[in-house]
Amino acid sequence: MTLTDFAVAIQISLTYFTIIYLTGLGGLFSERSGIVNIGLEGLMIIGTVTGAFGARYFTDTLALGQPWGPILGLLFGAFCGMLFASIHAIATISFRVDHIVSGVVINLVAVGLARFLSQAFFGQATQSDPGGPHLPVLNIPLLSSLPRGLDRAFEDLSPFVIIAALMVIPVWYSLNRLRWGLRLRSCGENPEAARSLGIRVSVYRYQGVLLSGAFAGASGAFLASDVIGNWREGQTLGLGFISLAALILSNWNPIRLMFFAWLFGFAVAIPLRLDDAPVINLLPPQFIRMIPYVVTIVAIAGFVGKVRPPAAAGRAYEGGGSL
Amino acid sequence: MAAGTALDPASAAPVRSDRIERFVGQALALLVSLGIAVALGSILIVGYGENPLNVYAEIFRGSLGSVNGIGYVLSIATPLIFSALAVAVCFKGGMFNIGVEGQYLVGMVTAAWAALSLDFLPAPLLVPAVLIAGMLGGMVWAAIPGVLKVKTGAHEVVTTIMLNGIAISLLAWAINFPLKFKNAPPGQNVDLRTDLFSDQARVGDIGQYFDITPGAHLSWLLFVAIAAAILVWFLLRRTRLGYEARAVGSAPGSARAGGVSIGATQIRLFLISGALAGMVGMPQILADKGYLGAAYITQLGFTGIAVAFLGQNNPIGIIFAAILWGILSRGEVALQIGTDVPREFIIILQGILILSVVITYQIAKRRLAARQLQRAGAAGALEDSAALDESAGPRGPEDKGLEAFRASDAGGSG
Repeated sequence: MTLTDFAVAIQISLTYFTIIYLTGLGGLFSERSGIVNIGLEGLMIIGTVTGAFGARYFTDTLALGQPWGPILGLLFGAFCGMLFASIHAIATISFRVDHIVSGVVINLVAVGLARFLSQAFFGQATQSDPGGPHLPVLNIPLLSSLPRGLDRAFEDLSPFVIIAALMVIPVWYSLNRLRWGLRLRSCGENPEAARSLGIRVSVYRYQGVLLSGAFAGASGAFLASDVIGNWREGQTLGLGFISLAALILSNWNPIRLMFFAWLFGFAVAIPLRLDDAPVINLLPPQFIRMIPYVVTIVAIAGFVGKVRPPAAAGRAYEGGGSL
Repeated sequence: MAAGTALDPASAAPVRSDRIERFVGQALALLVSLGIAVALGSILIVGYGENPLNVYAEIFRGSLGSVNGIGYVLSIATPLIFSALAVAVCFKGGMFNIGVEGQYLVGMVTAAWAALSLDFLPAPLLVPAVLIAGMLGGMVWAAIPGVLKVKTGAHEVVTTIMLNGIAISLLAWAINFPLKFKNAPPGQNVDLRTDLFSDQARVGDIGQYFDITPGAHLSWLLFVAIAAAILVWFLLRRTRLGYEARAVGSAPGSARAGGVSIGATQIRLFLISGALAGMVGMPQILADKGYLGAAYITQLGFTGIAVAFLGQNNPIGIIFAAILWGILSRGEVALQIGTDVPREFIIILQGILILSVVITYQIAKRRLAARQLQRAGAAGALEDSAALDESAGPRGPEDKGLEAFRASDAGGSG
């Protein structure tokens, strides 16, 4: 292992950080509003197929070119993720279906729907043509002039990586300083109290779930267009569940989520680039892929730290049929 | 289902009419959701410029119109029966095992290991040994969330999701390292897999007795699956464990007061669920492939959850639900050949079906609970407290898949 390998591993980890963080933020909004969302993987899947199509459609078919084509493609993935998440919202909020049941169904339906859409978009069910359009990569100023090969860590990154990292500011601000965010959180902690203050619990929960679809959809679109370059069936590789793990470990906090998203991104990068590093070369790569899941089980079992989900997450809100 | 009422023998008379009403309600809900799925499916079909009647007829002709078709349908249904039973057993105890997916992967690894290392045994011993190894693998993987739930209060939904992720890597490691093939056919590029199992380790094809093509890979595991469904029915309905399971699932507070050890019951249910989950992978490695390879069939655990909903968590209902799922899945091929509708339409139809099933059941259950409460003379005040453990009698355990993360766990540690 050389320092350059390490730098490249960091660079890969930043890419995967983007995927895990965006999806995790989606889960954050949903669960903070009181709706458990284990359908993140499914929402991402819809984002991958629609994002890959959107990027191609806006860039080539509508000839918008750079940078608007890929940007609109990503937004299209986010929009479709939102549409798909509305199923989860309607089922859990309006029909009070168990959140886990609905989430499982979301994941199950997404696999089939992605094939269906792929057939319609690309004329083939399991992948699109490689080399789809994406935003040009850029080097992060200053950091990309580090010596000894460390510069590789901050070169050739998608602008979306930087945007994702900056998302922490509006997300934190909106949840902690804006009336909207405080109300959303109150719906997740104590919906009855929120209702007694005149807050329309269902409206906020709908917003939380739709936002989760938008974030997870954008994340999937980024994965397909910018990371892989085309849509392929199964390309999410459980990253939605890893995002869920990062979200749990972060205690539903957007700042801590950054750290765990990066950590798990790094865990994804290790087998790809650092397989010959000391200690790591003793372990089969498959064991390293287990790390995020093992850490989460250990944490949720209370062996280290304390995991505290939003108090009312997972509970159907019974009151006020009119809301 | 009637656990709440069974705890209270004094109310025997209304129990019967409640039960009939519930049965009728469930049947109606199923019919309504089937109707919704067919109707929405028809709209899609018309969008493709085809006649819905033709397309649906084509699906049934393709799946049930020939003995081969029936063979394929039953072959698809076999693992789904095991998988849905595994889900249903936990559901009855108020727990959600979404780890069947991981449990069957581990079961395939342990079964493959047994098939390769015990191949000195004669067939009548080897096959049972392999099946037991598969079930043990599933049980070990299911014991982890069970024990963690009871001892630490870790919610089983989170732990099983994580264990699913670990299982995928575990299987990949197994076929990359300890179980990787040693005797590859020379000069051929072989996908990553184990060595071929010996013939004694494979389960017999029964299709040949019914003129079904060997390509359907219909094995006597189908009968094992049906026997397992009957066994689970008996277990839940006629044994002490089943009674305790339903008590824990529908009213943990009353169960604890009645002297049921909630933790012990939950762990036992997870072990049974894991054993059933361990069987899910057996048809594909023992009847079809004859090895464990990287291109195994996935999603059977999650599909099992859908089948369990469709069968209302009733073991016998699950058999029929799995067959219905098989009919639709097999109908894909007929669509491809006979119509302009793409085969992916079936997956959408299955998705619509499961969504409408979930939602209509939920509505039906609420209606039913409200009516029964009304009849019991309880006013609206009870509506709120129905969410509490003690008065959850009229609601099914399905409601309790996930109360607050801690609500059900408080019972678990007691």
